[in-house]
This record gives sequence, structure tokens and C-alpha cells, in this order.
Amino acid sequence: MFLNIIILVALVLASLWTVMTRSLLRSGIGLALTSVILAIIMFRLASPLAAVFELSVCAGLISVLFVSVISLTQPYSQKEIIERMKLMLVRFRLLPFIILGLGLILLLIKVNFDLILPIPETERNVRNLLWNFRQLDLFGQIIILLAGAFAVVILFKEMRKNVR
Amino acid sequence: MYSALILKPFFCVLIMNMFLKGWAKKTALWVALLLSVAQIIFAIFPETYHQSSFIYVISNFFKFDLAADNITRVLLLCIGIVFFVTIILAKQMIKDDDRRFNFINLLLIIVSGLNGVVLVTDIFSLYVFLEIVAVGSFVLIAFNKEMLALEGAFKYIILSSVASIMMLTAIALLLLVSGSTSFSAISASLLYSTYNPLIMIAMITFICGLFIKAGLMPFHGWLPDAYTAAPGPVSVLLAGVVTKTVGVYTLMRIVISVFGLYLPIQKILMFVGASSIIFAALAALGQTDFKRMLSFSSISQVGYIVLGLGCGTTLGIAGALFHLFNHTIFKSLLFVNAATVEAQAGTRDMQKLGGLSAKMPITGFSSVLASLSAAGIPPLAGFWSKLIIVIALWLSGNYIYAIIAVMGSVLTLAYFLSLQRMVFFGKLREDLMNIKEGGLGFMIPTVLLAVITVGAGLAFPYLLNTFILPVSSIFGG
Amino acid sequence: MTDKILLLPIIIPLLGGLLALLTPKKSGALKEGISLIAVLLNLVVTFSLFKSNLYYALPWVGFGLEFSLRLYHFSAFIISASAFFGFLIMFYSVVFMRGKQFLNQFYAYFLITLAFINGAVLADNLVIMLFFWEGSLAALFGLIAIGGKGAFKTATKAFIILGITDLCMMFGIALTGQLAGTLTISNINLPLNLLGSLAFILLMVGAISKAGSMPFHSWIPDAAVDSPLPFMAFMPAALEKLLGIYLLTRISLDLFKLNPHTWISIMLMTIGSITIILAVMMALIQKDYKKLLSYHAISQVGYMILGIGTALPVGIIGGLFHMVNNALYKSCLFLTGGAVEKEAGSTDLAKLGGLRKNMPITFVCFAVAALAISGVPPFNGFFSKELIYDGALERGWIFYLAAIVGSFLTAASFLKLGHAAFLGKISDENKNVKEAPLAMLLPMIVIALTCIIFGVFNILPIKNFIQPILGEARLGGHNFYGLPTNIFLVVVTLIVLAAALLNHLFGVKRYGSGLKAVDHIHYAPGLSWIYNKAEGRFFDPYEIGLNLVNVISRVGYGIDRGIDWIYDKFTVNLTLALTGGIRKLHTGNFSVYLAWSLLGMFFVILFLLRSI
Repeated sequence: MFLNIIILVALVLASLWTVMTRSLLRSGIGLALTSVILAIIMFRLASPLAAVFELSVCAGLISVLFVSVISLTQPYSQKEIIERMKLMLVRFRLLPFIILGLGLILLLIKVNFDLILPIPETERNVRNLLWNFRQLDLFGQIIILLAGAFAVVILFKEMRKNVR
Repeated sequence: MYSALILKPFFCVLIMNMFLKGWAKKTALWVALLLSVAQIIFAIFPETYHQSSFIYVISNFFKFDLAADNITRVLLLCIGIVFFVTIILAKQMIKDDDRRFNFINLLLIIVSGLNGVVLVTDIFSLYVFLEIVAVGSFVLIAFNKEMLALEGAFKYIILSSVASIMMLTAIALLLLVSGSTSFSAISASLLYSTYNPLIMIAMITFICGLFIKAGLMPFHGWLPDAYTAAPGPVSVLLAGVVTKTVGVYTLMRIVISVFGLYLPIQKILMFVGASSIIFAALAALGQTDFKRMLSFSSISQVGYIVLGLGCGTTLGIAGALFHLFNHTIFKSLLFVNAATVEAQAGTRDMQKLGGLSAKMPITGFSSVLASLSAAGIPPLAGFWSKLIIVIALWLSGNYIYAIIAVMGSVLTLAYFLSLQRMVFFGKLREDLMNIKEGGLGFMIPTVLLAVITVGAGLAFPYLLNTFILPVSSIFGG
Repeated sequence: MTDKILLLPIIIPLLGGLLALLTPKKSGALKEGISLIAVLLNLVVTFSLFKSNLYYALPWVGFGLEFSLRLYHFSAFIISASAFFGFLIMFYSVVFMRGKQFLNQFYAYFLITLAFINGAVLADNLVIMLFFWEGSLAALFGLIAIGGKGAFKTATKAFIILGITDLCMMFGIALTGQLAGTLTISNINLPLNLLGSLAFILLMVGAISKAGSMPFHSWIPDAAVDSPLPFMAFMPAALEKLLGIYLLTRISLDLFKLNPHTWISIMLMTIGSITIILAVMMALIQKDYKKLLSYHAISQVGYMILGIGTALPVGIIGGLFHMVNNALYKSCLFLTGGAVEKEAGSTDLAKLGGLRKNMPITFVCFAVAALAISGVPPFNGFFSKELIYDGALERGWIFYLAAIVGSFLTAASFLKLGHAAFLGKISDENKNVKEAPLAMLLPMIVIALTCIIFGVFNILPIKNFIQPILGEARLGGHNFYGLPTNIFLVVVTLIVLAAALLNHLFGVKRYGSGLKAVDHIHYAPGLSWIYNKAEGRFFDPYEIGLNLVNVISRVGYGIDRGIDWIYDKFTVNLTLALTGGIRKLHTGNFSVYLAWSLLGMFFVILFLLRSI
């Protein structure tokens, strides 16, 4: 239990770092770190398949993509970065208090979560499950990928054409 | 056989891109048009579908769990009509072949996603299809890659992903409770633990996600920017069906057939609906941008639908559904008008327009029709749906909300009148002397939608008995 | 099959009216022909239906509203009488109206009125009756409005007065239906308890205002000046009396159990007496042929209401007989007025005089009718008035006194009218006045003859038409025809008539002219002030109402300004402020929008958790 909380706190810290850090490169690395911690949580929740996917796709593939793309861009100058940093700090200065306040209110309302949970089903063959029961979702994912591909075509490929 | 509705657009995209790219660049438009007409026909006459066709064989290959009732037919009809309109507008407004081809591809993907949203019977699949629509919409909003458009798309991405997180959380909690994600399993398992706080939170989290998607006050922040910045055909698509299907229809479906109506949830729905009606109408009153005013009006009208839904009675739900249909029609019409005006006059700023009715009679007249329908003036279609909603609210004892609904109607009339006065009536400005009526690509959708608005109003008694009330009986039972 | 014939008295004039409306303006005599055929057919049908008892019901909208018509002796009598008058006056109008404007409309409204009045009389359902009743009001409006300049205002006045009273009647009908549980007239028989009395009064207001009683009379003198003359002969003189008194009789005899012991009876008699006195006082001083007659049209209603209000058989019979007689001689008088107007070009008494030689037949008809209305034996008016006196005296000497004073003044005013118009010296411009055309004379002659016949052979109308209305049970074996039985009353009447004659001679001698024969009453101390006020319409309830409305509208205007301010300034500014505020909130910063969404969700969850 204690370990779980430590991991969760680490997850939050890593994602905060990802969002708040100065350079895009560090932000990409932070994303990878977040994915790794998420994978650890999944391992601990006894779903190794999901953890492996998370590690390989998010932490591995996407991070590599990000880092390689970012290395192609021109970074902000140091002065600009500091200014943006200040702006961000000003903008989000109230955030911790709000989160704490909201948490406090939720704590004060004593909610009684007593639930009758059904017995968890025994693990089924993943391939079988995906193809026989979640065919529609798989199909949907394919369409999303397709849409993503078109997004790249429309927003980036054409942009290059315009630049040229 | 319903799977064909999802599969056909998808396979069209695949085939056109893989094998026939050179040929398809010219003809994609007509393929899409054919598909839209097929969808309209299917929505009106579902029995015309031949089971022996090739498509049927393919459809049977996939084991999709889909279901349709009368309400889905209404939505499929809306999607078909707006799909059709959008394609014709795109032909008019996007001249470049390559870009138009890409546009059509994305449009087909979105339609595929919308049909999926309407037809699925599983809450996770629902989520997946919502995402398809969302991703497609991001790209389409930013289609012209103007600064404002990118900003609007960005806001949509952020808020939409927050909505996704909310919905995913809710789905996870529901999966925990019921062990399955299909609608029937969830609603069955919810019967065992009514009024459990965790489940209620899960429900309301999901509903809040849908509020964001539907753009209700105060979850609406992305909507005016996205609608305004999007290119003309995309605004029509977004305002006409995307938010309606993704947000409002899903809300109806989830609340009625999955969660069931709980009093607190009803109260929340009605409150959010009423606040949307009033505040969005007030906000619309102060706008000077044609499309921005329309987007606030859209929020306000969605408020009516949610108000009718929150009322919870059969009549209220029937009214909500009818208003959904009407709103799709008249708001699409208004956005088509806005696109026409923008294309012809080169601006959407209402203070720089005026007196266009003299030069653009069809656009002017149809926009008056649509505005009056939106404001609920008899005998146009919008009057009947609003009337049903108000009556339902009154009968169910929600007098204050009924009064708010009527007041909202007055405000609607107010901002639409100011719109009409600024854009279409009054004196024609000097610099607009040479303005002309829009081309055929604008006029076909305009006339089509105007005819539907008037026709639905005049044929209301028929529609009510054969179309709307049976729908509600499916729900009420 | 034979029942359906009951629809004919409604359909024939209605069709005729519509046809007349549709005929082209330049079609010559076509519309006159159509109208005459319609009234003739109507006359034939109603006369042929006389003495038959028919009932026709057509299921209508439900809720106890069926389209039912009932013909029995009373309604048959009324529709026959109205058909009779309709025919004669139409005959007269064809000549009189020639060359006037709006002829199509005149004939159309005339016939439609006839149709609606037939409908209202025949109706056996209160709502159906109301429908026809209101329809006749609309036609009445049209008939007055086509009169020319200023007529529209009068028409509006009539419409408002009668509209308000009809509204009362509508409430009365609703209340009656509620009390009785049915709207079918022949099934209603209510006691006059508290609510019953209220219903009675509401219905009575409708009935007596139709008949033209005070205080709902004030449009009639105005209409006399403005509207086409045949209208006056037709509507206020004949048909409206028939209709109004018919309804009053129905509600007194059938719908409610009116008996002499109720205060309603006293009230009716009071209204009647006041109407007699006040209207005849006004008639006395009029200087215009038509206007003088119009006040008599009001005054005579008083006798009828008084007679029916006695709730005694003798009074009721007198009242009904008086209704018939009044319709006869009053329409005859108006027709003579029309003849004078047509030939001499004016109805101003100061410009008339000495027409006796030029228009002998008209004069004779006038004389007969005037003697009848004054109650001189052996004309019909004498007998009906005697019956009413009899009833009134039995109920209280004060009512008798009012009636007899009314009689005196009536006689005096007609002596004045006759003297001023037909006797005396003829003015120069009237030297060449000719007798009216035959088509106009014929109706007058017929009516005047009828006056004499109904007087001398009063057994004819009373036995055949009027006594059956009350029925054998109420009559108790009495017969009211023949010579008056109460010698005392006859003597008093004769004395009063003689006094009127003496008064007239005194006046003529004193002022030297027939026109001014009653000036000593007009300018009597005390009376002249009242007369002045009355001439200035000070007592006209309509004018009082208008003034009241004016005051109210002043006050309303002040309130309206305030409300206007709320609409024009307050609401707009509030809306602008709200709109501006909301616009300011939309900064375009996505984090703000995000914060809204999250806060919204937070509050929603909070609400949910509180309400579980």
C-alpha cells in the first residue's frame, strides 16, 4: 500500500515535470519517465500485457519519435525560456491551493463507498478476447490511426509544400 | 446490416487511397455524395436494404454488436443530411483537388465514426468512436491552418481530452461494478446498487465529459472558438451533427438506456440546460461575429434539448429529440448562410455588413426562416419542438424551468433579430454594392434545408404521430 | 326528412345574403330580385310551418352541444312575424335604397340578419342560440356602418354596448348550463335561488339590451340618425324587439320559474317603468322625426318588460301582445319617416310641416300608427296597454302610475310630431313634394291595416298566437281577448288621452307652433337642466364608460411609462451589462475554459453527493 502511494506520487511528479520543464527535450524525456512509472503500476496491478505495451510503445517508440523531432527544431533562447517560465508560474500559482482546497472539501464530505462488486472474471486469452469480443474497438482504433495519418498529411505535409 | 454504415465510408477511404488515388482525386466527391444519399434513404426507408448485396456479405464478416431503433434513425437521417450539405459546400469552397480529396477522406472517417457512435451498444466502443470523431474534427477545424483555426483546434483538443479522461474514468468505475462494458450489462448491474455514491460519481463524471463534448455552459469554452475558426463546411458539420451526436445524442442514450433517470441527475441536467439557454443567449446577444453568434446560439439551443431530456417524461424526451432534429436543420442552414455571406462579402463581422437581403434574396429569406424556427415562431418546426418541451416541463411541475425556456425563446428572437437587422436588412453598404448571390453550391443546401425547416413545421402533426411519439415510447418503456 | 325543413328559414336568407353580396355592383336589379325572392321564400316557408311542432337535432361537437332546432307555437310565431316584417321592409327598401351606396352589403346584411334571427329563435340549445345571437350582432354592425359619415362610430358604439351585454349573456349561459346540467333549452327549468337569479339577470341583460331597454339603449338614437332608415324599421323597431322579448319571455316562463313573489319580478318592473318614463321624456323634446321615433322604440320596450315583469298572466299576455303591436306600428312609423325623408329630403321637424296634402296616404298611415302607439281605442295599442295596466296595477300603483304617465307623454309627443310634420303650414321648398312610390306605400298600408285588424279583432292574435305561449295551465281558463274588462282603467286611459290633447292644444296656443307644443315641459324649472345634460349625453352609460375608460387609460399611461422604462431602459441595460460581463469572461484563454469545466464538474459532483 505504502509502495503504491510512493509510486503514484512519483507519477504525479514526473508528469508535472513534463509539463513544467523549460525545454522540449526534457519534456519528452519526462513523458518517457511517466510512461515507465505507469508501466510499473500496471505490473503491480497484475496486467503484464498492458505494461509491456505501455513500455514498448509509449516509453520506447513515441519517446524516440519525440526526441528525434525535437532535435530538429530550433530551441528558444535562454531569455525567452525564463520569461515563459515566469509566465507559467504566474498563471499556475493558484493551482496547488485550488487542488488542496478541493481535496479538503471532498475529504469533509464523508462519502460511503460500499459496493457489492461482482466476482472478477478469470483471465481470458487476450487474442481471443480482442477478436471475438472487442472487434469493433479494434476496428475503431484502426480508423483513429487512419485519421491520425490524415492529420499528418494535412497539417504537416501540406505545410511543407506551402513553405517550399 | 447496420455495420455497413460504418464500414462503407471506411472502405471507401481505404480503396480510394490505396488503389485509385489518381482517379479518386476527381471523383471522391461524387462517391461521398452517393454515400450520403444512400444514408439518407436508408434512414428514411430502412427496409430498402437488400440483404443479398455484396456489402451485406462483407458486413457479416465482422461481428459488430450494433443496434438501432427509431431514435437512431432520426440521428442517421441528420447525419446523412448534413453530410450531403457539407460535401456540396466543400465542392464550392475548396477549389484545390488535393485538399478537397483530403477533406473528403476525413469527412468520410468522421461520418463512419458518427454512425458508430449512434449504433454501438457498448460503452467502451462508444468511447472509441467518440475519439474517432474528435480526432477527425481537430484536423478539420485546423484545415486551413490559419492561426485562429489552430488555436480553436487546440482548445478543442485540450477540452476534449479532458472529457475523454472523465469518460474513461467513468468507464473504468462502471467496469469495476458490472464486469462488462455493454449497455445492457451495465444497466442490469446498476439495478442492484442504486444510489451508491461511487456509481453516481461515475455516472456524473461520464455525463460531465459529455457536457464538454456537447458544449454546455459552463463546459463550453472550446465551442465558440472552434466553430468560429473552422472553415465553412466544417462549421456546418460541427454545429449540425458532430456536437449533437457526440454530446447530446450520447447523453440521451446513456442517461436513458444505460444509467436510467435518477432525480439528482435530472436536476443537474435541467439546471445545466437552463443555464446554457440563458447565459449562452445573453452571450450571443453581444456578439458581432456572424459565426460566433451562431455558436453561442447553438449552445443555447442544446440547452433546450438537455432541458427536455432532464424533464424525464416521455413527452419531454420526444420534444428533446424533435428539437435535436430541428436544431440540426436550422443551425446547419444558418451556418451555410454564414459561409455564403463570408464567401461573398469577404467578412463575417456583422458591423461591416448590412442590407444583404436586397442582393442575396435566397440567403436572406432562408436565414429569416431559420432564425424564426430557432426562436420558436409558428408554424416553423422549431416552434413545435420548443412547445413540446415547455409543455412537458409544465406538466412535470417544473414551472420555473418552463418559464426560463420561454424567456430563452424571447432572447433567441432578440439576438436573431439583431443578426438579421445587421446582416440582411437595413441599408446596403457602399462597399457591398456589387455583391452577388452565392453559387449553386451554396444555394442547393440552403434551399434544401429551408424546405425541410418549413416542411417539418407544416407536417408536424404527421411527424409527431408517426415519428416522434413512437420514439419516445421506446425510451419511456 | 320533414325535420330538415327547419333548416330552411336559416339557409334561405343566408344563401340569399351571400348571393346578394356576390352579385356584381352593376348588375342592376339582380340583387334586389335575389333578396326579394329570398324573403318571399322565407315568408312562405315560415307561414307553411306555422302550427306545426318540429324538432331537428344534428350531433355536433359533443360535450352536450348539439345543433338542435325546435319549432313550436312561440318560435313559429316569432319567425313568422319576422318573416312578415322582413318581407315588407325589403319590399320598401328596394325603392328606398335605390341609388345608395353599399347596396350589396345592405341586402346581404339584411338577409343574414334575418337568417341569424331565425336561427336564434329556433335554436334549442343555448350555445347554438348564442352563436346566432352574436352573428346577428356582427350583421348589425355592418348594417349601421354602411350608413355613411359618422356611422362607423355609431356602429362601434352599438357593437361595444351589445358586445358587453352579450358577454354577460355568455356568462349567463355558462352558469345556466352549469346549474341545469344541460344546455338544451327545452330541458331547463331552474328555481330562482341565489345562483339562479344571477344566471337570470345575466341572461336578462342580454335579452333586454337586444330589445333596446335602458340602460343599454344609447346607440339607438345615434343609429337613427346615421344608419339607413329601413334598418331602423327592421332592426330596433321590429326584429330586435321580437328577439329580445322572445328571449326574455323564454327565460321568464320556461328556463326559470319567475313568479310575482320574487325580487327579480320587481326589478324587471322597475327597469320597465324607468325605461318608459325616461325614454319618452327624451322623445318628447326631439326635433327630428327619426330620432323622436327612436326614443319611442326604447320607451315601448319598457311596457313589454313591465308587462312580463309582472309575472301575471294578464301582464305577460299584455307584454307579448304589445311586442307584436309595437313591431307593427313602430315599423310603420319608421317607414312613414322614410317616405318623408325620401320625398321631402329631410327629417328635421323644423323644415317639415303641412305634408298632409302632399302625402295623404302616408299621413293616414302615420295617423293610424300614431293613434295605435298612443293607446287610442280601437287600435291595437290600446288593448295591449290595457292588459299591461291591469297587470301593473295589481302589482303596485307606482308601476301603473309610471305606465300611465308614459302613455300621457307618448300621446303628447305624437301629437307634436304629427302636428309638426303633417299639419300646419307647408314651407316653400316642400311645395312640390309628391306622394311616395307605391312600393313604399304598400308596406305601410299593410301594416297600418294590420294595426287596425289586431285592434278591432284582437281575438285573432291573442287567441291564436299569444295565449298558447303561456299554456292552459297558466291561463287558468281565462281569456284575455275582447274588450277590456276593467272599466276603471279604460276611463283613466281616456282621461289621460284627453289630457294629452288638451296639453297639446295649450302648447300650440301658447307657442304658436306644433313643433313647440311641449316646450313648457321641456323648459319647465328643474327639467330643463336635466334635459340639457341628457342632450349633452351626460347620462349616456356609453359616454360615461368612455370617460371612465379615459381616466383609466390616463392612469394606465402613467403605469405604462413606468413599464416602458423597465422594458426600454432597465431590461436593455441589464441585458447589455450581463452580455458584456459574459463577454469579458470569455478571455479566449483555454486554461480559463478548462478551469470552468473542472469547477463545473466539481460542483455537479458536490451537488450529487449532497442530494444522495
